[in-house]
Amino acid sequence: MLKWVSVLCAEVLAVALITGASTPVTAQGGGSIVGEVKFSGTPPAPKVIKVNKDNQVCGDEKKSEDVIVGANKGLQNAVVSVVGAKGPAPKPAQKTVLDQKGCQFVPHVLVVPAGADLDILNSDGVLHNIHTSSTANPSLNKAQPKFKKVMTEKFDKPEVIQLKCDVHSWMAGWLVVQAHPLYAVSDASGAFKLDNVPPGKHQVEVWHETLGKMTQEVEVKAGAPSKVTFELGKK
Amino acid sequence: MLVLVVMFVLFRFGIRPPAPWSVVTLYMTIVLIAVLVYVSSDSDSWRSFLAPIRSTLVDDSKRPIRFALMVLIPLVVGYYAYSQAAARIEAPAELRAIHPAPPASISFKGKTLDVQGLDNPLRKDAANFRKHVAEGAVIYIKNCVYCHGDNLDGAGHFSHAFNPPPANFTDPGTIAMLQEAYLFWRIAKGGPGLPKESKPWNSVMPAWEDRLSAEDIWKVIMYLYDATGYQPRRWESHAAAPHPQVVEARRGGSFPLAFLVAPVGRVLAPPTEAQQPGDPAQGKIIYEKKCVLCHGEKGDADSPAAPQLDPKPRDFTKGKYKVRTSASGQPPTDSDLFGVISDGMPGTSMPAWKVLSEKDRWNLVAYVKSFAGGAFKEPPKAAALPKEVAASKESVARGKEMFEAIECNKCHGNAGRADGPSAPELKDDWGNPLRPANLTKPWLFRGGGSRLQVATRLVTGLMGTPMPSFIDSVEKPEDIWHVANYVRSLGPDRPDYATFMPVRAVAGEIPDDPAAPFWAQQPPANFSLAGQVIVDPRNFNPSIDGVTVRAVYSEAEIAFHLTWDDPTASKPDPKAKTFADQIALEFPATAGKEGERPYVLMGDGSDPVSLLLWTSDGGVGEATASGIGKIVPKMADAVKATGKAVFADGQYRLVIKRPRGSKDPNELAFPVGRFLSVAFMAWDGGAGETESRMSFSSWYYLRLEEPASARPYVIPPLVALLTVGLELLVVRGARRGAQGEQGGN
Repeated sequence: MLKWVSVLCAEVLAVALITGASTPVTAQGGGSIVGEVKFSGTPPAPKVIKVNKDNQVCGDEKKSEDVIVGANKGLQNAVVSVVGAKGPAPKPAQKTVLDQKGCQFVPHVLVVPAGADLDILNSDGVLHNIHTSSTANPSLNKAQPKFKKVMTEKFDKPEVIQLKCDVHSWMAGWLVVQAHPLYAVSDASGAFKLDNVPPGKHQVEVWHETLGKMTQEVEVKAGAPSKVTFELGKK
Repeated sequence: MLVLVVMFVLFRFGIRPPAPWSVVTLYMTIVLIAVLVYVSSDSDSWRSFLAPIRSTLVDDSKRPIRFALMVLIPLVVGYYAYSQAAARIEAPAELRAIHPAPPASISFKGKTLDVQGLDNPLRKDAANFRKHVAEGAVIYIKNCVYCHGDNLDGAGHFSHAFNPPPANFTDPGTIAMLQEAYLFWRIAKGGPGLPKESKPWNSVMPAWEDRLSAEDIWKVIMYLYDATGYQPRRWESHAAAPHPQVVEARRGGSFPLAFLVAPVGRVLAPPTEAQQPGDPAQGKIIYEKKCVLCHGEKGDADSPAAPQLDPKPRDFTKGKYKVRTSASGQPPTDSDLFGVISDGMPGTSMPAWKVLSEKDRWNLVAYVKSFAGGAFKEPPKAAALPKEVAASKESVARGKEMFEAIECNKCHGNAGRADGPSAPELKDDWGNPLRPANLTKPWLFRGGGSRLQVATRLVTGLMGTPMPSFIDSVEKPEDIWHVANYVRSLGPDRPDYATFMPVRAVAGEIPDDPAAPFWAQQPPANFSLAGQVIVDPRNFNPSIDGVTVRAVYSEAEIAFHLTWDDPTASKPDPKAKTFADQIALEFPATAGKEGERPYVLMGDGSDPVSLLLWTSDGGVGEATASGIGKIVPKMADAVKATGKAVFADGQYRLVIKRPRGSKDPNELAFPVGRFLSVAFMAWDGGAGETESRMSFSSWYYLRLEEPASARPYVIPPLVALLTVGLELLVVRGARRGAQGEQGGN
């Protein structure tokens, strides 16, 4: 068991390193913000939900994803953004994809550029329904039966949208519809990186689905990364 | 004469006369007699009155009319004879004084109140009139609305379970002809306080003195008059005149016409009324009078009624609506809102507001929209409904295929009975638990049960609920119609509630197995059940809303086959707060007092009941009861009933068998040919129902029918032949008389 965990950790680390290394050098004149989001206090044990339907694809248990704390108390799935940043959200080279796999939303928190197509996959081969609690965008509740492998949706207005699937009541996910390019989601170790940040003083905000929001002022200089650490905890 | 006939037909089947039916017939008879007296007062007018009749009988020129009448009259008489000989699927007529004379005084919470001459003390406080009416309205919406309805028309969503139905306050024959003191007596003492001639045991009206103060009762009374616009009758000076008694013959099954229409009363097509621009300011006035008690002053459903209602009243501030013709994610059209206001939400406390003028309803639409801020800024995009596909066998088969492919069963269950694996966890967008629709009961579909309405719901989804839109999620657009056709094939159009349960004679052994084909061949009787809200803890949102009963008897035994929907087969589990599922048939314990029945909620100390019951953890049993919570189960050998239950796809089927007779006169017995009383109670233990938290019905009749006879087919032809003979005699006599006259001249 322990061995498995360590292998997994190593893998995650390796992937993080490779992706980190392969990230293109920041654009000319822009700085970057790198940092970590940490959980303050004792991390809660994740809630375990007993699965009572579609066990062949969903498994027998699901761990709640509302607070995921990794090594060194790194908090995963926190959304970091630069408040008041300007400019259109970049059109991604590939379509943004949200998968429903193992009766979970993958990824649990997904940043979607406003106005861009989002492909919603059903990899499970059982009925799911995408049910949003959006208010700025029209609220969505569409069935995605087993034969409907892909549905494409668009969200025009920036908003944090909760996703649920009424068929599988434990399924929860978040779409962060971004208005500008300066968004990042913290990884399994709580790390994040924002590139192409214009030099100057910025308010940087972190948002987490259950732990709330926090802002810090960060000064960004051209060509050099600025470091910042957030600590979020249960109030 | 013709005028009378036309008026009779018109009043009986057309418009609702502004007076009780018994009074109308009484007046009509008097007018008829008066006309006869007038025409027979002198011989000239009598002759001219008879002349057309005589000429019809005699004149050769009127031969066709004569023949027509000679055929028609025997047919009508024969039909009447048939209806009399064959009319046995009916409860006995019961004469019941609906406005009995009140007692001179009553004791109210230990004090003696003189009913005669009593006035509403709150009327003296004219300054606080509106305040009292408003407080009365809150009491009404929390307690009375379930049976008497939000329109005060006696058609609340529990009303179907009760016979006689709850009083209709908008009928000019009820509160309009009564004093406020009379209402005070009726509310305080309820059904149990009625005198014997009013059959107190039939009424399920609670004695509200247990729950309401005198002031509360006076306030409700003020609300009733204010909301209906009637004036209470005043005491005449030296009020000693006896109170008028109106006696109404209420036959089982003769519900008012409107009542029969109510369960499927939604118009099938979208409202045809031309859309009108509404005035929100005018709408606000109506809203504050009619809607505010459920939907709240701010339109956010924060209201006195909301905590007890399920589904909750609509929160207008979000602009999210279930019943729409607009695309998923879109606000409703004005016509959608107008339609819901006009037709109500079947199966909920939201009635059809057709009592309001069209103008008022359009004004309400405008006002209701104003709560949702910007949600209605842009006109909604209409949903595209695929081209209609007729409900053929092939379409239903394809619909079933699609129903399974798109997994409607996840919530609605394999047979559509709302028992899917995801059903218990469903919540609406406000976080309130929600039950999926039972697809076998289309009369309870919130958006209406027609094929068009079902197809529209599949296309648009029910926003704010877990029900998604399927238009992009079927293989071909027309599959929407196939699924709608399949869904509508799962249940009947309407519930056809019974008021009488005939028990048929059968030869030989009665099968024990509830799934035996024998039972499907027996005629069903559907009884509606309502939540028990008389005794604490009350059950405002019952899980089980009806039971279908088939009953037969043999020489030695009687057997009841019960079918009812329950989403889960549950066993007692203190951790999950569930209890055993149960059902009970209730009978008077002693058949001695002819026609009188015990109190329907398990009797009382002086008048107990016998129960035939079944529980999911104990099987079939028998008990006697003298009140809720005062049940004494019979032990071991004393239990003569046997039975078996099966549960599948959200439905129980149960057979209870029992010996028919007993030597002991105090024992339950089922003799042939007598009207016996029966009532029903059911508990969904999985929904936390136990003891007083149950659904129940009022008393109904059952009767063990004599083995089938040829009487209905022999007597009517004989009667018709006899009539023809009489006709021939009369015509012959008249012609002879006419010839005699001619001969004499």
